Amino acid sequence: MLQHFDPNKDYGTPASLSEKMVTLEIDGVEVTVPEGTSVMRAAAMYDINIPKLCASDNLEAYGSCRICAVQIEGRRGTPASCTTPVDAGMKVSTQNDKLAKLRRNIMELYISDHPLDCLTCPANGDCELQDTAGEVGLREVRYGFEGNNHLDAEKDQSNPYFTFDASKCIVCSRCVRACSEVQGTFALTIDGRGFDSKVAAGQDEQFLDSECVSCGACVQACPTATLMENSVIDMGTPEHSITTTCAYCGVGCSFNAEMKGDQLVRMVPAKDGDANHGHSCVKGRFAFGYATHKDRIKAPMIRDSIDQPWKEVSWEEAIGFAAKRLKDIQAQYGRESIGGITSSRCTNEETYLVQKLIRAAFGNNNTDTCARVCHSPTGYGLKQTLGESAGTQTFDSVMFSDCILVIGANPTDAHPVFGSLMRRRLREGASLIVTDPREIDLLNTPHLGDATHLPLRPGTNVAMVNALAHVVVTEGYEDKEFIAARCEGDAYAKWREFIIDERHAPENVEAITGVSAEKVREAARKFATAKNASIYYGLGVTEHSQGSTTVMGIANLALATGNMGREGVGVNPLRGQNNVQGSCDMGSFPHELPGYQHVSDAVARARFEKVWGVELDDEPGLRIPNMFDAALSGEFRAMYVQGEDIAQSDPNTQHVEAALAALDCLIVQDIFLNETAKFAHVLLPGSTFLEKNGTFTNAERRINRVRKVMAPIAGKEDWEVTVDLANALGYPMNYSHPSEIMDEIAQLTPSFANVSYAKLDEHGSLQWPCNDEFPMGSPIMHTESFPIGDEGKAQFAVTEFVPTTERANSRFPLLLTTGRILSQYNVGAQTRRTENQAWHDEDILELHPHDAEERGIKTGDWLGITSRAGQTVLRAKVSERMQPGVVYTTFHHPGSGANVITTNNSDWATNCPEYKVTAVQVEKVSQPSEWQKNFQDNHERQNEFLRGSASTHSAVK
Amino acid sequence: MFHTEEESIVTMINQIAQNNVSAGSESEVADMVENHIVKFWSRRMKKILAEQLASGTAEFEPAALVVAQRLSAKASA
Repeated sequence: MLQHFDPNKDYGTPASLSEKMVTLEIDGVEVTVPEGTSVMRAAAMYDINIPKLCASDNLEAYGSCRICAVQIEGRRGTPASCTTPVDAGMKVSTQNDKLAKLRRNIMELYISDHPLDCLTCPANGDCELQDTAGEVGLREVRYGFEGNNHLDAEKDQSNPYFTFDASKCIVCSRCVRACSEVQGTFALTIDGRGFDSKVAAGQDEQFLDSECVSCGACVQACPTATLMENSVIDMGTPEHSITTTCAYCGVGCSFNAEMKGDQLVRMVPAKDGDANHGHSCVKGRFAFGYATHKDRIKAPMIRDSIDQPWKEVSWEEAIGFAAKRLKDIQAQYGRESIGGITSSRCTNEETYLVQKLIRAAFGNNNTDTCARVCHSPTGYGLKQTLGESAGTQTFDSVMFSDCILVIGANPTDAHPVFGSLMRRRLREGASLIVTDPREIDLLNTPHLGDATHLPLRPGTNVAMVNALAHVVVTEGYEDKEFIAARCEGDAYAKWREFIIDERHAPENVEAITGVSAEKVREAARKFATAKNASIYYGLGVTEHSQGSTTVMGIANLALATGNMGREGVGVNPLRGQNNVQGSCDMGSFPHELPGYQHVSDAVARARFEKVWGVELDDEPGLRIPNMFDAALSGEFRAMYVQGEDIAQSDPNTQHVEAALAALDCLIVQDIFLNETAKFAHVLLPGSTFLEKNGTFTNAERRINRVRKVMAPIAGKEDWEVTVDLANALGYPMNYSHPSEIMDEIAQLTPSFANVSYAKLDEHGSLQWPCNDEFPMGSPIMHTESFPIGDEGKAQFAVTEFVPTTERANSRFPLLLTTGRILSQYNVGAQTRRTENQAWHDEDILELHPHDAEERGIKTGDWLGITSRAGQTVLRAKVSERMQPGVVYTTFHHPGSGANVITTNNSDWATNCPEYKVTAVQVEKVSQPSEWQKNFQDNHERQNEFLRGSASTHSAVK
Repeated sequence: MFHTEEESIVTMINQIAQNNVSAGSESEVADMVENHIVKFWSRRMKKILAEQLASGTAEFEPAALVVAQRLSAKASA
């Protein structure tokens, strides 16, 4: 989909959703459009383009610039076409002498206070003001340029990604409205009145110091060079663009990668992106500099021991070295002594190939993925209850929701573009219930109406979800018709008997959750009585020892209230990484083949065996924590890790490091020397999403194309490396393009049967299941039946609350919960190598003023945080967002050692770690922890090993 | 809190039994636990479970003990 630079058409005002059509005449042309459409949009739909400056079709009509004035037969004056709705029989003139003069006069006033530096302006060639001046035929400015003006207004260059040049501002308010309407932050405003009016970030702060979240919506909206990407200022305007999919988070935004040759100038959110509709966040929009960062691994490397410097070698030598080691280890220690980890950051095709390599070439099922440590309980819990391991809705479905229940998720930080959409719906009046130990930013949504916060204690989600369901059932809010028609009767009866037990009553649960019974009852009533109620949840649900139980409890709640199978309802897991859904779909887990087909299913296995040409193991393989345990016992000796950093992201770091250090051969394929690679013997350069073709599947099951915009830095896309390794191991893989891999996936995976690159290119994206039953995909699942049991009926699950064994006591009196922040992504390997560091250059520990005062702690103090697993040291931030007794940190910086203190506790069904509950003590300290000192030493040594390899290589050259 | 691999396996099967304790009678809970282990546990985990049962030192939940015995019997049959 290469296209020469041609920005999408802007119709001036948003589309009307009315089904009633209205016919009118514009410039003698008969036009028929939906009722409620503006005259400006109606004209644009028939390619009659009225000049405009303050209008944009992603913003409500504003009517301030008056450039779009028109004349309407029988009406007085010259109304703005953007704020005038069409009327049947209306006759509109968009061009005549009077309008031309009016527009020129308006434009003349604008230009009299605008620098005439078009030739040296960064927006030259991409400036709506310039274009409009041309359209209206402005030829002179009679007022001169000597009067009062803003030409000397100072630039605000505080933001690392864009510059605000106030001298070029025409005060059209597009940026202010984009910040409010699209992003929902309301950080920008127009300060002053009349001639003194100016755009201001917050209360006259610099952009960086304001509430601005750098989503880029204002930059996108600006019709001049007032708000301009620094990359465009530096490099000039792009000359071609390629549509691809962002590699941050599970929203899966579509972007136009705007290029000059092979240089990426900027990432512009695609208006026709099905997941993001032209919006973006600071990561996707701006934080792509890591792709060309000096730390990129540019050549394959090998070494015999992790205490040796790296040796830079050819691809052939590195792959040969890796294959020989794997074969030798299997020969000595057996078939099951090796395994691998697929990546939720890589494409579907790459993930599919890695698990295929393990199952077919390694000959075992020792494959797992980082979804193990985030959403494996989603896969388990939703499969048990609804029959499919995936969310039920589209993101857009939230716009039909009347009550939104958010459990253990922080969408404005972790899924920002969807967070903005949710905020839009909240501003429209939907009610909000947040179940979270922290007061998340969603609760501070400007113009939020009805909102309830249930600030429960960490580890008590199951008790809370059961209490909500108890109220639904005992107060008679069940949707009996839905349950009778759509749910399996025996399972429902069993669950009903369980849930009406008085131990689940909010009054009896209050002592567990710490939330008042009345508040819980009110929330349950609100949820149950809403016409459409939806549930969104995240890692605050899954990363617990009862994560799978909570997921099933969430499904129970949706089923009991009949909130399933239509717009505005459903169960929606917010996936962490860009391709968590895809990596699960592609058979990364040790117990199931692609498409969630169990390895013990002889029929499914036979189909794979036929296409793959080998006999497959029918027993589940090792999960990640099993691999670590087996490595420490000496039975598991080698691992292939593609695009994951398990040394930083997995819990109980010291245990993980000991396991990795015990391996005879660790093969890491990554774009940087990540923490895991410091334990590796083979380091294979990875390729970023900009350097390869493939697909990602987002949290709404949407399969989106990833398109190569530049050549891989080390010459190979990630899938090609896996192919080479398979071939070196003697298992032939022959693909010339990822589209062929997708064809194989479609052949073997029933839910992907009708997916192909041709169809994706034609439709933009497809949501699985996409097969003969649902040829155009399935935006909303379970509309008629559930893919479970013989009758297709949903299964209620009994959800006993079993408290975690990780409890606070006098030695560890506080509960630590971990999470994410907007500007950094996951382990930070990408975002730490961008200017996003300006917002979060270290992980800090948030704690409540009460806990701080008891310990004499002030913001900025160094704190030792000690758990039963280990100790680390972070700086303090005293915050009322926390409840007393609960502390919080992020894990974006490896030296922070957040996972040094998390424990081996895990979900009972899936082994997903209990990151969200760790009992700790906190005290003021004056030096780093022992682990941090060792980390720093090893970090310097391993980087020296890397630098040594580079200098050796250059010397050889 | 921190276990050896062998202790972890026992902890895990006990956790599965505890979290399904309301599934019905002890036999029904055991069916559920057994089904889970067969479906999700690797050969190695099952082997360690059998060793722990044989050692006689591990403390199993009642339903977990039933499952460990059932699986051991099937393995040696």
